[in-house]
Amino acid sequence: MTEENYISAYQQKKHRKNIFLILSVFILIIIMFMISMSTGFIRLTPMELIRTLFGMGTDKQNIILFDFRLPRIVISILVGMALAVSGSILQGVSRNALADPGILGINSGAGVAVMLFISFFPTTTAAPVFFLPILAFIGAGTTAILIYVLAYKRGEGISPTRLLLTGVAVAAGISAVMIVLTLRLSPENYQFVAVWMAGSIWGSNWSFVLALLPWILILLPIAYSKARVLNTLNLGEIPATGLGLAIEKERLILLAVAVGLAGASVSVSGGIGFIGLIAPHLARQLVGAKHQYLLPTAALVGSLLLITADTIGRWILEPSEVPAGIVVAVIGAPYFLYLLAKSKA
Amino acid sequence: MSVLTVDHIAVGYSNTVIIEELSAAIPEKKITTIIGPNGCGKSTLLKAVARILKTQKGAIFLDGRAIQQVSTKEIAKKLAILPQSAEAPPGLTIFELVSYGRFPHQRGFGTLKKEDLKHIHWAIEVTGLGELRDRPVEALSGGQRQRVWIAMALAQDTEILILDEPTTYLDLAHQLDILLLLKKLNEEEGKTIVMVLHDLNHASRFSHYMIAMKDGEIITEGEPKKVMKSENLKAVFDINAILMTCPFSQNPICLSYQLNKETECLLQTVE
Ligand SMILES: Nc1ncnc2c1ncn2[C@@H]1O[C@H](COP(=O)(O)OP(=O)(O)O)[C@@H](O)[C@H]1O
Ligand SMILES: [Mg+2]
Repeated sequence: MTEENYISAYQQKKHRKNIFLILSVFILIIIMFMISMSTGFIRLTPMELIRTLFGMGTDKQNIILFDFRLPRIVISILVGMALAVSGSILQGVSRNALADPGILGINSGAGVAVMLFISFFPTTTAAPVFFLPILAFIGAGTTAILIYVLAYKRGEGISPTRLLLTGVAVAAGISAVMIVLTLRLSPENYQFVAVWMAGSIWGSNWSFVLALLPWILILLPIAYSKARVLNTLNLGEIPATGLGLAIEKERLILLAVAVGLAGASVSVSGGIGFIGLIAPHLARQLVGAKHQYLLPTAALVGSLLLITADTIGRWILEPSEVPAGIVVAVIGAPYFLYLLAKSKA
Repeated sequence: MSVLTVDHIAVGYSNTVIIEELSAAIPEKKITTIIGPNGCGKSTLLKAVARILKTQKGAIFLDGRAIQQVSTKEIAKKLAILPQSAEAPPGLTIFELVSYGRFPHQRGFGTLKKEDLKHIHWAIEVTGLGELRDRPVEALSGGQRQRVWIAMALAQDTEILILDEPTTYLDLAHQLDILLLLKKLNEEEGKTIVMVLHDLNHASRFSHYMIAMKDGEIITEGEPKKVMKSENLKAVFDINAILMTCPFSQNPICLSYQLNKETECLLQTVE
């Protein structure tokens, strides 16, 4: 066996191992999907679940499954993917394993837009449910652009570190604005905003899925097609330039994709933190740093995490619900601290 | 003949100009070494040559064309740079990192073709990393990591290699290892090599051409016999050096040296 053959044999072995890992995560998602479908105020036995899925359920079972639980689970899958891929891109571009879509000010930008709307038009409480995603997206996009402009330095372009620091600063500023706005809100509106901000997927229906799906269908393939570019950017500015990458252009495209994905998800699910941080990190442990494997793995891990969190949130304090975002935070915050401690060591 | 010429450039960082005006011609298929004190602008010059820093004035020509006018990918097929400090992201194996060197030759999704594997394999073997190829980069010693980055630059398959302090942080034997590798690449593959070294004796022994810099300017340049003179070393480093001939390369080497002010003190006490 020649050395070159050895290299390709080794590659194939690694490829098979990674495909196996990706499939395993996929199977876990299916299992979690089943568990999630039968969890809730009204439990369904596996038999009932299967029968209903195949169109042989009672009317009540049909409504629970198809109108309430299924859209919600589909949303968790999509949002989990979007946040995870957005986080992977940000971590790759900034070479910082602690970067997260929330840092780009996207969550707070979306939040402040929603809050502004509710505090100035409090009477239209019925309208926001459908109007919220659009508002949130506008808020998220505006904030991202603002941060980009503030972090831009003439002659040097945009440095990832400055981008992250500016993001933190802007998010802090927006939080202050939000506190002021809170004072204007009625208790009911306040509660509504608070739950929305905490990142909950309840109230999801098929129109939310339809609002989110196009973004996912367009942006995920773009991200995936940039796997090789991400690999190179991840080496740092000088090596990437040396390898012939048009850094400024590619960075801008990738940041736009990351903002689009995170903005679209925050608009349907509110601010769910940590998924974009943890999923890429876990995926890296599984399949390594090559984005050809990392991106799909992170996407699936993100989905799995969010379905699990949502299911736990629905089950743990029955009959009340804990927003998925809070469940994720409870698991995610210690993990974040662990990463932080490890990165200092 | 020169494929790489630096024509009256000014270059620096956002507000500061480090090099005000500098011209140089890098001889083709030769080893050129830049020497000079810390902070004199050696890395800045290399970064300008490798189009990482934009020149504020003047131009750099590669094969007769100003590099600003050539696409960055086109340049990457002719010129590779090994930065002074590069750190691989965690979770990459040596094979993977070296394979990234194929970037400018790839299209689309980046599946490695036979041609790519051939270059990667060669780069890994010639740098002596064959045994380690499946190990994670972060589990290597400093010297091994340095060789991985060199291997990545070699996989890029360029005529010109630019290396900023390739031997810093290595022990004596590993320093020679790297320099001998570069010498071999120059002799056998005809590669043009431009590098920064701090060890004057290594510079003199392994280069065909030396450029001595101070405060963003070239003080003197030429073959080692011309540059390695005590008056030049005094002008560049402010040292008094005792030179002799290297028994291996027949080029001048510095046997020992004193700081200029030290020598002056000494002379005063003698008087
Ligand atoms: N990124 C940077 N931003 C601003 N100034 C820099 C930067 N890098 C280097 N410098 C300054 O440029 C000068 C030359 O640096 P450099 O070219 O790295 O020197 P050396 O000859 O040691 O390689 C130094 O005074 C240094 O402080
Ligand atoms: Mg330097």
